[in-house]
Amino acid sequence: MRKIITFLFLAILGYYMVNLMNQIPFGEDRMNVGRYYLENTVSETGSVNTVTSIVVSYRGFDTLGEVTVLFLAATGLGAILFDKRGKKRRKQHASSLVRTTSKLLYPLIVLLGAYVFVHGHLTPGGGFQGGAIIATGVLMMYMSYRKFETNHKALTIIESVAGLTFITLGMTGLILGQTFLENFLPLGTPNTLLSAGIIPIIYSAVGFKVGAELTGVLDTLLKTIR
Amino acid sequence: MELNFSPVHFIAVPLFAAFLLPLLGRVSQKLVTLVPGVVLLYLSVVAITLFPQAYDTPIVEIIAGWRPPFGITLVFGPLAAFLVTMITLIGFVVWLYSYRFIIREPLEKYYMLFMLLIAGSTGIILTGDIFNLFVFLEITAIAAYSLTAFLRDHNGAEAAFKYLLIGSFASAFVLLAIVILYANVGTLNMADIALRMGDVPDKIKLTIMILFIVGLGIEAELFPLNGWAPDAYSQAPSPIGAVFAGIVVKAAVYALMRVLFTLFDLPTSSHFLVVMGTITLLVAEMSAMRQQQIKRMLAFSSIGQMGLVLVAFGLGTKEGIAAALFLMFSHAVIKTMLFFSAGYLVFFSGHKNISDLEGMGREKPWTGFFFSLGALAIIGLPPFSGFWAKFYLLVSAANASHIFLIALILFSAIIEAVYYLRVVGRLYFKKFNDIEIRKTPFTGLLAMGILAIVTLVIGVYPDFIHELVLPAANELLDKAAYLQYAMIGQ
Amino acid sequence: MIYYITSIALILIGMYAVLVKKNLIKMIIGLSLVDGGLHLLFIAIGYVDNKTAPIFSKESLTAADMVDPIPQALVLTAIVIGLAVTAVALAIIIRLYDHHKTLNVNKIRELKW
Repeated sequence: MRKIITFLFLAILGYYMVNLMNQIPFGEDRMNVGRYYLENTVSETGSVNTVTSIVVSYRGFDTLGEVTVLFLAATGLGAILFDKRGKKRRKQHASSLVRTTSKLLYPLIVLLGAYVFVHGHLTPGGGFQGGAIIATGVLMMYMSYRKFETNHKALTIIESVAGLTFITLGMTGLILGQTFLENFLPLGTPNTLLSAGIIPIIYSAVGFKVGAELTGVLDTLLKTIR
Repeated sequence: MELNFSPVHFIAVPLFAAFLLPLLGRVSQKLVTLVPGVVLLYLSVVAITLFPQAYDTPIVEIIAGWRPPFGITLVFGPLAAFLVTMITLIGFVVWLYSYRFIIREPLEKYYMLFMLLIAGSTGIILTGDIFNLFVFLEITAIAAYSLTAFLRDHNGAEAAFKYLLIGSFASAFVLLAIVILYANVGTLNMADIALRMGDVPDKIKLTIMILFIVGLGIEAELFPLNGWAPDAYSQAPSPIGAVFAGIVVKAAVYALMRVLFTLFDLPTSSHFLVVMGTITLLVAEMSAMRQQQIKRMLAFSSIGQMGLVLVAFGLGTKEGIAAALFLMFSHAVIKTMLFFSAGYLVFFSGHKNISDLEGMGREKPWTGFFFSLGALAIIGLPPFSGFWAKFYLLVSAANASHIFLIALILFSAIIEAVYYLRVVGRLYFKKFNDIEIRKTPFTGLLAMGILAIVTLVIGVYPDFIHELVLPAANELLDKAAYLQYAMIGQ
Repeated sequence: MIYYITSIALILIGMYAVLVKKNLIKMIIGLSLVDGGLHLLFIAIGYVDNKTAPIFSKESLTAADMVDPIPQALVLTAIVIGLAVTAVALAIIIRLYDHHKTLNVNKIRELKW
């Protein structure tokens, strides 16, 4: 009975939504503020990746909030699962083939993650993507080695320092320039690594922070079944 | 020395503190409990310093040097100044109360979540950008979910899960509204959206409005979307119950009003607000009568007051909105005090039910006194601030010639009197026969004392707050002026 | 258009899962589906026919050749928020499972729903 009612309700909702979306033609150019970003990103921020310049510079405040949300998730997880004793899980190691491969791949994956967040202003990528890649590498190690441990204290410190770097950069902008998060470094030549002012610095801090936080989240969750 | 305060501090400083706390925790646990208080005190100072300036000419803070609509702005007008000052003051008192109340590990996580909650709520109020509003709403919500489950008992986890499920639906609706809005106007700054709203077809406009009302209404405890509230209020640690009533809901109501008043023309939604507010009020007050647990009763009473606030906003007149803001302030102060004292009553007696609290007023004279004071104030007896809140509401309802509203307000006051006085009576008339009871910590009494003094002082000098509230109400109504300064004259 | 329909379908499937399923984990999967659908919808709205990604990696690319960058930037934020909510939800579920030894939502209702 409940299923039928839900189904009907969702059918009506779906019909209504499809109808609504019909009035918004697909694939049409309806840029407004977006046009401005595309036209001015290279000259104003020095970043060739427009998405990065929006995420870090034009709408940098959102990113501060976004970093905070992740931090919040890690903190909340820590608070909720505090003093949780882990349950025994079967000690079954992965095959030696898997273990050797992951040992080989692990540094490479971390390196790739670092590459992605350092080149956030040049290529499709950035702090969040890079951090996620690094955490994947750690997850792989967790999967193949039952005994694999990360240093939780070091993770917390990286997390905090990266977050503080972000806000300190913002405050420096407030003091040196006019506004919070304002760029105070030279823009450099577009399409080179050392360009785009503070964008690569912020994105690297974000990369470290996201990597540490996602690893911390995985670690906390896995500890409950150790 | 020239002090260079800016509205950004309201968000950046608590965030900085939250990031710093884990490092401080390595040095000393004492610092972890002290730093949040220092931060909140600092923010109160900033708020009070900026206050006159905001009332004179609203401060529009540009982030990262991009003028609107390309960058994100913080708009610090009279309304924002009023609410932010309220939040920092309540936050400070909550810290004072938590200082000796929250002694459970992990302390630093508690204060980190608390700081992030403050940053999120002030962010909701300050931001001038619709997507940024969503981000801050989520920060507030996720911090609230985690804090609800902070005690780690099974009821807390259940309440938190319920809250999370409903809250996630809310954020999905808000995000969907933003997506459709963006598809039609192509910009995210709220003032810019308002300027371009004319080109949007009416049908789409209505859809967006419904999505916003549903999404933000869940957080603002609008009926029938408030199922999460009583559980979350009663299962969270007591200071957090006070935070929900005093800070989170107020920020959510602000978000709803900002969207309705600035993005849409009010007349379409004002009747709806009055009707929904009335239903919310009646259902909540009726439910409050039937509650056995003291904190659930306070939660339902809080929902009822929010209903009254929505009704007042729905009047759409300057007086009505001013009354709504006055009521929000008065309710924040009184309900925080009630939650504090109820928290101690529950803590010392070890029972959550009202019937088990008999005679506690004799055992704990001060805590019982503050609870009774709060009960009298919230019913609306003079000389407390609650009286003036209801008085201004009645006057504005009479001026808008809504006779049934006058009846409604008086009727709700009677119901409130019934269930609050029932509790107060139980506190005093019987003797409490139980084992020895510990002393109430001084900081807890101080926190309640501050709130009691505030409600008394406002009760004696209501004009002080009323004069602050009128320009704030004007800001919400005078859309043209808001667009003018939020877009920095473009 | 197919993108719109797909994403709306995802949103509806997710909502169905949240409303009907009894298993806590499945409800959370439903929430993630709703989020995913919304993100797809947002990206689809920013798409412009025959345009490319908004990165000026070659000299020949001009602003006129690119899709709207804003939805992509916002979805990045929204994804992170969805992830955070999922993580907190899983932590709460672990706590609930500890106390009740079940994931069935009907057997957990101690508070009034």
